[in-house]
Amino acid sequence: MTTIEDLLQQPATVEERKTPILDESSKREIRRACLTAVAVPGYQVPFGSREMPVARGWGSGGLQITLAVVGRDDVVKVYDQGEDGGVNAANLRRLIRSAEPVTTTTDPREADVIQTRHRVPEDVLVDGQILVLQVPVPEPLRGVERDMTELRRMHAEADYAKMWVSLYEDIVRNGIITQTTGYPCLVGGRYVIATTPIPRWDVPPLHQARFLSLFGAGREKRIYAIPPHTDVEPLTFEDVPFQVEEVVEPCRCGLIQPDEEPGAYLVELPGQTGETVWACSDTDWCARRRLEAGLLGEDAIDALEVDL
Amino acid sequence: MGYAAAKGGFDAIRSAEELVRRHRLEARSSWLEIDQIIERLGYAVDRVMGEGALWDPESSAIAFRQAEGDVVEAAHLVRAYRSTLPRLGYAELVDADEIDVLRRIVPAFREPPGPQLLGRTPDYTGRLLERSPEDESRRQAALAAAEAGDAAAAALADDGRATDGSPTDADTAGSGLEPARVPGRLMDVLRSMDLLVDRRRDDDPAAADISRVPARPGAPRSARLSAMARAETGALVQLWYRNILGPDRNIHEVTLGEVRHGRLPVRAEHPHLGRPVTVGHVRVTEVEAIEDLDGNDEDRSRFDVGYGLCLGHNEKKAIAMANLDIALHRDLALGDDAGPLEQSVLMTTDGLDASGFLEHLKLPHYVTFRSMVERKRAMAPAPVEPEATATEAKAVGASSEVPVG
Amino acid sequence: MSPHTQPRQRGMIGGTAATALAVERLGKIYGPGGPEAVEGTGPEFARSVSPSTGAVIGCWDVSFAVAPGEALGIIGESGSGKSTVMRCIAGDQSASAGSVNLAGVDRPGGTPADLLQLAPSDRRALRIDRLSVVYQDPAEGLDLRVSAGGNIAEPLTAAGWRHFGRIRQRAADLLSRTEVPLDRMDDPVLTYSGGMRQRVQLAKALANDPQVVLLDEPTTGLDASVAAGVLDLIRDLLEETGIAAVVVSHDFSVIEMLTRRCLVMHHGRVVEEGLTDQLLEDPQHPYSQRLVGAARG
Repeated sequence: MTTIEDLLQQPATVEERKTPILDESSKREIRRACLTAVAVPGYQVPFGSREMPVARGWGSGGLQITLAVVGRDDVVKVYDQGEDGGVNAANLRRLIRSAEPVTTTTDPREADVIQTRHRVPEDVLVDGQILVLQVPVPEPLRGVERDMTELRRMHAEADYAKMWVSLYEDIVRNGIITQTTGYPCLVGGRYVIATTPIPRWDVPPLHQARFLSLFGAGREKRIYAIPPHTDVEPLTFEDVPFQVEEVVEPCRCGLIQPDEEPGAYLVELPGQTGETVWACSDTDWCARRRLEAGLLGEDAIDALEVDL
Repeated sequence: MGYAAAKGGFDAIRSAEELVRRHRLEARSSWLEIDQIIERLGYAVDRVMGEGALWDPESSAIAFRQAEGDVVEAAHLVRAYRSTLPRLGYAELVDADEIDVLRRIVPAFREPPGPQLLGRTPDYTGRLLERSPEDESRRQAALAAAEAGDAAAAALADDGRATDGSPTDADTAGSGLEPARVPGRLMDVLRSMDLLVDRRRDDDPAAADISRVPARPGAPRSARLSAMARAETGALVQLWYRNILGPDRNIHEVTLGEVRHGRLPVRAEHPHLGRPVTVGHVRVTEVEAIEDLDGNDEDRSRFDVGYGLCLGHNEKKAIAMANLDIALHRDLALGDDAGPLEQSVLMTTDGLDASGFLEHLKLPHYVTFRSMVERKRAMAPAPVEPEATATEAKAVGASSEVPVG
Repeated sequence: MSPHTQPRQRGMIGGTAATALAVERLGKIYGPGGPEAVEGTGPEFARSVSPSTGAVIGCWDVSFAVAPGEALGIIGESGSGKSTVMRCIAGDQSASAGSVNLAGVDRPGGTPADLLQLAPSDRRALRIDRLSVVYQDPAEGLDLRVSAGGNIAEPLTAAGWRHFGRIRQRAADLLSRTEVPLDRMDDPVLTYSGGMRQRVQLAKALANDPQVVLLDEPTTGLDASVAAGVLDLIRDLLEETGIAAVVVSHDFSVIEMLTRRCLVMHHGRVVEEGLTDQLLEDPQHPYSQRLVGAARG
């Protein structure tokens, strides 16, 4: 029985067919769904989602897209919560490497395909790059409607009044829009999408982006897309500005300060006794900036590369 | 620390896997062999095949062992394996009347056409924990076998599980009982008595392939049946019970027509000869449930029959499925007033979907949680007054505007 | 076919005698059979169930026109088909026969569009700002879990309103007009009394200044004193806004108070029509006489 461990012993650059996760006709079918999604920005395209070696909800949709769109010698980055070394990212990365003749990186600027869960890189992505987002719940309207037939009708007729009412009610009850992550956005002026659970901080970079975003929901069997140069407008009222999570305290890396450019998405690290430290969520971006600032040695980078 | 974590995550996975592997390899009891699992844990293997939607006892037994007895996890392993296999073609449709029964009961009549064949079942055995020592059991088994000595009886007692579903020598020896093995169908009897509504329709001729086209509300009946055939057994049983006792009430008074366990041939078109050839057999459980029709829009002078069929020997699942087939038909007939049953069946009964999503909650969620904490802190303590103006509606807190669009 | 909608006008439309809503030979059959099922049903046969097919004739051959600013009443006992007429006009049910025109809803080329032939999505679009309905059961017209303001925000946002402050101001204005205390505006409608819920429904129905409002037993089920208050309000609103209205009720006092002209329905047909006060004074059809007699007790 071939184990994951065995797969890892194989060199990353073998030319012959590696241990497959998806057969070629499945990949073609998924690519077709991706093309449909690009052609109709924001529309949730149903597809015959395959069972993956990771559980439903663990990135099975993103994994299928990545496996379907990568070509020989593509460079792939996989990260989760902004962290390349997280357990889920590490697992997905080695699966992709075991199945496809690709190399991996942590630097999003070098990557052709970036598979991510919950984050968009702090770096500005450019033409030709593909961001693959793992989506647990693709339906932005589920909070206001459960019936799938009615949901289909609402999208078909662009009838989003119920969503607007929920935003109105939110402000009335709470004084603010309390939607946290996965903020609903209007894509290309037509379809409302769920921006996966990425934080609101990551929504503005999707607007008129130069890169292609592909959203894969394996469990719910849908794919949707934001093509390059497409409007992505967070749903909010004209007089209630869309708000992102701000830097409220300096980051422990010393390079991010409140009210200073560039900001970054920070996560809170509470200590045992109530004191809190803040850290950059995007670990690779942070490390590169620290390296430039002379705050981190080259050897640390080397150690990371070996592990990839 | 970001960088340390990059290495840490991978090391942690490897260590976790090492613990799993060590337990498997170093447990003191003897290694479970695949044929042991197939032979002795047959219901588990059948469930893995059914929920994994792949007839492959060996792979399913391997999966069951690897999953250390977790059926849903084993079904996941089987389905992920199946995803790697190219789709070479579709089997021909077979008539379920070709079934070669190992067990068949008809609760609706005392003496139905064809036999009441109890077969191998613990249904009428007291649920008493058997604690007799293993060697004593072996001795008794040997004695019993010597006394019986009748190949035909052995064939009837066999549930066909020791093999991959293909007829064994013992079965062939029993072929003298041919009529008993291929009985008539109660539904035909009811039809001849003019007691059955006819809802055969011709707009769903081929079985829908739900692994290629996801089954969504509005899907044809064959897609609904396929979804139930590979659903998690417990989920179907629960949904059935909910419809009997709970708020949904789509099932009224059920009598079982047929409960069968037997073999069906699998045929595929021969690539050169162009005609169907039998490429193997699968064991299936098949159930027909007779439902009393008493709704306003229903033909109250007749019955309807719901259908259930799943891979392997799994009567609970097939019975729940047959009942839900009727319940779905009834619910959908309400049109605009239809309840959520179809959506429940299609969207919430898959074991992989449900358990995968549940277990994903264990993944790191600190990016999203940070965003949630931020909103909690930003939330104004008091609601806005009705005559709120634009400026008052703006949130207080540390957030700032980001122009978009 | 998608309707070509003209900018809305009040009063005279297109230079001809103004008609806000025109209903022609409207029919609804529940069950098997087409128009042939209708034979043998109606007041003269004293039955609504088709003797040939068993279908129920909800309504048949119902025609009327309502002018801008006019309120037309439809009266009949329960099962007479009056609510069916209303639901077919509103698009809540599909009609089996006839046509419905709404002023300003035209086909390309300018001829009036038949609402019954429009795609369901186009019909729903009309409900946003041209045709409103107030139901007997507030739960049908409102989301009870949502606040009064939120219920009014729904048609406003559907019509493209995107300014929170202005939506709120509009909702507050409408609620003041329908006499809902503003300090309750942010409470879920679930916490409101029956009369208050109807006032919220009225406010929602008026949100986008529709041309026509359909009122289906708007005060049935309310206490007499509460009902009287709601009726007063409806009468004032209709006079103030000049909206055309169809009022469906089993209660002559409602029809008398709100309408000048009315139809009497029985077994799915119109048996009599005329000016409301005349019809009350001197009903011609035996069924109308019976109804009036019962009402005058």
